[in-house]
Formats: sequence, structure tokens, C-alpha cells
Amino acid sequence: MQEATSTRRAIAIRTGGRARRPDSVRLRRLNILVGALSLPLFVCLWELVSRSGAVNMVLFPPPTVVAAAVLEWIRSGQFFGDLLASLFRVTTGFIIGGALGILFGILTGQFPVISSLLSPLFHILRPIPPIAFVPIVILWFGLSEAGKLFLVVWGVFFTVWLSTHIGVQKVDRGLVRAALMLGTPRRQMLQEIVLLGALPYIVVGLRTAVSISFYTLVAAELAGAFAGIVYRIEIAQQNLQTGQVMGGLAALGLISFIADRLFAALAERLVWWR
Amino acid sequence: MKLALASSSASVEEVRKQPAIQVSNLSIVFDTNRGQNIAVDRVSFDVAPGEFVCIVGPSGCGKSTVLNTIAGLEVPFEGDILVEGAPVYSPRPDVGMVFQQPHLFPWKSVRRNIAHGPRMLGKSRTEANAIADNLIAMVGLTRFADAYPNTLSGGMQQRVAIARALANQPRVLLMDEPFGALDAQTRAVMQDNLLALRDRIKATIVFVTHDIDEAIVLADRVLIMSAGPGRILREVAVKLPRPRSSSVMLEPAYLALKKDCLDVIRAEGLRAFNQSDAN
Repeated sequence: MQEATSTRRAIAIRTGGRARRPDSVRLRRLNILVGALSLPLFVCLWELVSRSGAVNMVLFPPPTVVAAAVLEWIRSGQFFGDLLASLFRVTTGFIIGGALGILFGILTGQFPVISSLLSPLFHILRPIPPIAFVPIVILWFGLSEAGKLFLVVWGVFFTVWLSTHIGVQKVDRGLVRAALMLGTPRRQMLQEIVLLGALPYIVVGLRTAVSISFYTLVAAELAGAFAGIVYRIEIAQQNLQTGQVMGGLAALGLISFIADRLFAALAERLVWWR
Repeated sequence: MKLALASSSASVEEVRKQPAIQVSNLSIVFDTNRGQNIAVDRVSFDVAPGEFVCIVGPSGCGKSTVLNTIAGLEVPFEGDILVEGAPVYSPRPDVGMVFQQPHLFPWKSVRRNIAHGPRMLGKSRTEANAIADNLIAMVGLTRFADAYPNTLSGGMQQRVAIARALANQPRVLLMDEPFGALDAQTRAVMQDNLLALRDRIKATIVFVTHDIDEAIVLADRVLIMSAGPGRILREVAVKLPRPRSSSVMLEPAYLALKKDCLDVIRAEGLRAFNQSDAN
């Protein structure tokens, strides 16, 4: 009797499962298909709207025109010069700003005296948008590369500093006590426990700083440059080459997207124990 | 007097008789915003070399504070603490500690976690790994030597923490409610593991718990503490045969001991309750 009921119940569960499974598989396939169609659909719609006559085609060129402008940009040889100039500013600024941010974050996080000295200053400077510094940077550095690097470094530094500072302060005291009990000398605590304990926070700060370095790149190149993706966008705008402007935007979006993805992959390796 | 003139063999004998831990008149006072809070009030006890002592008491009775002080982690205190005859001011590698949370280094594999102590004491990586592998086998985690802590269960993590504390071959092992965060089944297994492990290592063990059963199963001697301020109410010698396992809880002798302990705890609980009622 009891056996019979349990068998029946088992069958009921199994048929229920069988009835549900194909549905979920179908749904997942549908989702993948829709995901793959997302961009092409958007591009087609854009093309249709642009050519429908409802909008001014000069100001809102279709993707085909944008693609032609980008190809022309690449063929002229300017694209790679612009790309290199922009990438150089972003990476150099990111590396300098990130390194300084980590260094000062460790100092203020670890030593209360240094924190008392610097944190109030940093907290006042941090919320000022880097773009607001463009006028003074032009006065100080003119149109040189140093000024552009300064802006990117400025943007990256505070984000990385703050996350490192918080990371160092949030290091599990229990880990420090355990390390002390195991004979870890206090002077080795930084390298053995604090740095690694703060690493997840540092990595999050660095990842946020990747997008910030692109924001500040825009400010830096709009402030006057001789090459660079945003510089090219500005030139194209002055010549009413809307296709080129949009191509530049697309290129900027693509580059920062790739940079973010690369950093995400790198972050997974950096915090290897997760 | 005799000691000074004694032969070397006699002094070795004397050293062996010396308590592994001597706590005399230990008081710990915390400053709070409502004045001073006496956490521990003139606590004195000795622990013989190789002895297993459990300190039981309600939460907030200062038992963990006493343990941290012996470890050298709690700085301001009054009274004297001697471990192996020497005063304690800061953590020492001959005193090991297992905390309630495993506090394993998440970025190190099980082996590297256990090898950390020997490495810090200047052993080569090969030597330290050999020590670690021995201990990993002793706590039955050979399959997990290269695993990271976040992939282990709570009981396994605490076994790693015990092995890590043993890696420096401490003379004294302090355990602060190490099984407190584990479920009942795992806890019973861990108690049996610890009893078996204890027969293989020579360390003196002080084990803090709020679980009276755990204390009697494990200890040679149970110190019962009261709360507010923390004092030692009673010492109960546990003369149950060794080797022991948690099944000792079914013996009549065990139940008699437990009754003794519960009587003390109940009388104290009643006193504390009436006192708070009167206030």
C-alpha cells in the first residue's frame, strides 16, 4: 500500500519534470536567438528610420554611411594614429593613477596619522569632476600630452585610492590575529595579510577606474589635441561629417567595452582564490 | 633553596613539575562609556603540562578574554600570567590558538595555510610543506591539500585551523569555542577527532566552551565560570578513562559529573537572576 503510493508519487514527480524540461530548454534557446538578433535588428531599424525621410539624413545618417565613414577613416591611416594616441593616454594615465591610488590607499588605510593628514584633503578634491579641471590644465600644461595625462591620472587616482583605503581598513582582524599567533612578524603583516586581504577591493576600484579613464579621456581630448579618437569626433563635428562622428562614438564604445572585458578577465586571475 | 644546589637531573624534574600555565589574580577591566566594566575578577588557576582543561561559562563571562590574555592578544590586564614559566606580553609561537571562526587565509591552499607558521619561523618551503602534509594526513584532509578554504565545509575548515595551529608544535594550544559554529553532528565528530588527536600530540590544551557536555567529554578538569564579573566558581576533576570518545556521555559516572556541574551552574544562575530582579 505504502509502496504503491510512493511509486505513484515518484511517477507524478517524474512526469512533472518531463513536462517542464522541454519548455525551459525551448525558452533558453529562444533567449539566445533573441540575444543574437538584438544588434542586427537595432541596426536595421536605424537604417530604416534614417532613410524613411522622417529625419534629416545629414544629421542622422544610416549605419551604411557610418560604416563607409569608418572605412574611409581606417583607409586614410588616421584611425590607427588616433587609436594609438587615445590608448596611450588611457593606459599611461590608468597605470600612473592606479599605482599612486594603491600606494596612498595603503598608506592612509594602514597608518592613522597619514589618514588624518591626507583623507580630509582627498575627500574634498575627490567629488570635483575631472572635466572641471580642463581650464586650469590648459593654463598649466597648454596643449601638451602632460596635461591630458594629468586629467586621466586625476580621475583614476581618487577611485583607486578610496577603494584601496577601504579595502585595507576592512581586512579581517581575525586573520591578523591568526597570523600573529602563527608567529608572523608585525612588519610582514602588510605583505602577508593586508595587501591580499584588500586585493578584492583594489580590483573593484581598478575596474571602475577603467571606465573613468575613458570619461576623462574625452575631457582631455576635447581640451585640445592633435590626434585621438575624441579629437577626430570633434573635427568631424566641425565639418558636419555626422557619419564620422557616429563612427568615432561607436569606436570609443567598442574600445572601452573591450577594455572592461579584458580587465574583468584579468580581475578573475588577480583574485585567484575566488 | 634546595633547587639552587640540586643536580641537573633534579632541575629537569623540577621543570617538568612546573605548571604549563600559571594564571594568578588575573583581572581585566574595560573602560566603557558607562564607567568601568570588570570583565574578569581575580581569576587564578594552574594548568599542568599535558593537561586538558575546559573553561565553561555563560556568554559574556570573560572566558574568551582570559584565553586571549594567555595568548598575548589582550594587552591591558592586572595580575600574572606565566606560560612555560615566562610572562606573556605578546603572541608567542609556542602558544597556538584556534578561534571560533577558522580565520583561514582565503588566498592560500590548505597546505600553504598550514605551512604558514613554519615558514614565518624560518623553515624552508620544502620543510614547511612536509610538516603541513603530515598534519593534513593527521586531520584526514589529504584529498583537499590543494583546495582553497572557501571550497571546504565548516568542519573541514576548522580541522585545517587546528592543523595550522599545531604546525609550529606549540607547547600550549588554546581553543576558543572552536566547534561553537558547527552543527551538532559535525561537532560530535570534531570532538572525537580532537580526543584522538590529543593522544598523539603532547600539547597542554585550554579549551573554552559554553557547552557543559563538550567540556566534560574533552577535559581532564573543568573550570566553571560565572558572569558579571567573571570568576571561577568551581573546579571539577573529570576522572573518566582515556582514550575517550563522545559515547562516554552514556556512562553513569559521566552523568554524575554533569549533575555536579549543572548544580553549580543552576545555583549561580538563580543567584544572578535574583540579583538582577532586586536591582
